[in-house]
Amino acid sequence: MIDWLFSPLIDFGFMRRALVAGLALSLVAPPLGVFLTLRGMSLVGDAMAHAVLPGVAVGFLLAGFSLPAMSFGGLIAGLLVAGLAGSVSRLTGHREDSAIASFYLISLAAGVMLISMRGSSVDLTHVLFGSILAVDSTALWLIVSVSSLTLIVLAAIFRILVVECLDPLFLRGQGIRGGAVHGLFLGLMVLNLTAGFQTLGTLMAVGLMMLPATAARFWSKRLEGLMGLAIAIGMISSVGGLLLSYHAGLPSGPCIILLAGIIYLFSALFGRYHSVFARWRRRVEPILPPDAHG
Amino acid sequence: MGQWRTEALDEPNTLLTLEALSLAQGNRMVLEGIEGHFEAGTITALVGANGAGKSTLVQGIMGELRPVSGRVHCRVPNARRAWLPQQLALDLTFPMSVEELVMSGCWPTHGSFKRYGPTGYRRGQAVMQRLGLQAFEHRPLGELSGGQRQRALLGRTLMQEAQLLLLDEPFANVDAATVEVLIEVLQDMAAKGAAIIIVLHDHDQMTRLADRILHLERGHGTWSTPARVGGSPSTAETLA
Repeated sequence: MIDWLFSPLIDFGFMRRALVAGLALSLVAPPLGVFLTLRGMSLVGDAMAHAVLPGVAVGFLLAGFSLPAMSFGGLIAGLLVAGLAGSVSRLTGHREDSAIASFYLISLAAGVMLISMRGSSVDLTHVLFGSILAVDSTALWLIVSVSSLTLIVLAAIFRILVVECLDPLFLRGQGIRGGAVHGLFLGLMVLNLTAGFQTLGTLMAVGLMMLPATAARFWSKRLEGLMGLAIAIGMISSVGGLLLSYHAGLPSGPCIILLAGIIYLFSALFGRYHSVFARWRRRVEPILPPDAHG
Repeated sequence: MGQWRTEALDEPNTLLTLEALSLAQGNRMVLEGIEGHFEAGTITALVGANGAGKSTLVQGIMGELRPVSGRVHCRVPNARRAWLPQQLALDLTFPMSVEELVMSGCWPTHGSFKRYGPTGYRRGQAVMQRLGLQAFEHRPLGELSGGQRQRALLGRTLMQEAQLLLLDEPFANVDAATVEVLIEVLQDMAAKGAAIIIVLHDHDQMTRLADRILHLERGHGTWSTPARVGGSPSTAETLA
């Protein structure tokens, strides 16, 4: 039984590649998602996932179904939208989220139009929802490189991100502009979305970023805990989703994300903190000793 | 931060000088021609009604706001300048413990990669002990009371060994016991040579803590010493 369940991951080259790709993405996308949720930017990931579309489309139109071309296009489009939104919000004083919302909609419309100008609706679904069969070794190298780079950069800016999330003024007092860190962080996010779209599609890639992160918040109150759990949830969803996709003949992206979604729903119901169940059986903590009162 | 001039000043003890400083918020001029010297070892209270420009002046001093005219001279390097924001400015849902917050005061010296090391953590422990926080070192910030949180924030500036410290209403929403601890620590920091600027409302705290007072009113600043502002000299004497 177990052998039957897991053997596709070993027997087939495309499953092996998809597995490695999924695990590599699960190592870095969920921690990015944790920072996004902590910064109250949960929906920005979603917006950016739409924003990469015209770049992917241009890559597709110019080079056909080539992952490097499409990823590079997506990266440029994503960075452009992030940069434009950042500049507009800084120049006009409007909130950044409204600027991002405006630009991603423009970007999305441009992308859908570009794809429908050439190619069929099959291509569009492919770009939006991904296909596991298409992960060749070039794609795998790209994904693994992006993951490694993200891991290194994230480690380098980890302390700064933490300090900045809590209290941006502290860093500004040290002469460090939060904008640069913020930009770098958005760049990492776009990079991961473009790397993930081959297996998951542009729209699903953000799911692997956000769902493990939001689910983890029901289980841990510590940053390390959140990161570790989010990575674990991401990996479980990737492996489980791939197997489900293989055995049931379903598209891989939605399988992976739905599995992560089920884990999220379970966490929201039965998680340790703030879940429905935790609220229902809330235990009142005893009063602290007098010297502990502040 | 173009308006910062880190250069030798006439007085060796003067850490911060404001020269005919005028600051505006948007198109509205808030402060005009503010003059002042802030010496090492002195605590200056910044007072004034709501909207008098206290926060604007603090922003100007921190280099957040470019002066319309005039200058801010500061000889304290970035790494030793600290700013304690009003608590509302913090994201309290962020999963960070007291110890982690205190240790983040090492940022200017340790940057992104340097290990805090046993010496660093020992210093952190000492700081937390000094502020009566050792029982809460692993408690998340979101679960602290206002007083405990304020102690943790001051702990960060202690860790930073701040030489110029600006505090925006540090005693708001803080219990009496914490106020005592904070006052003690601030006086100690001043005694060790820091220049401290505090936005304050409470008159008693002002007379107890401040060496000098900068009163902001209608865009202009007036300097005085605690005994002369408002309250009778006798109050100041009894407290002294």
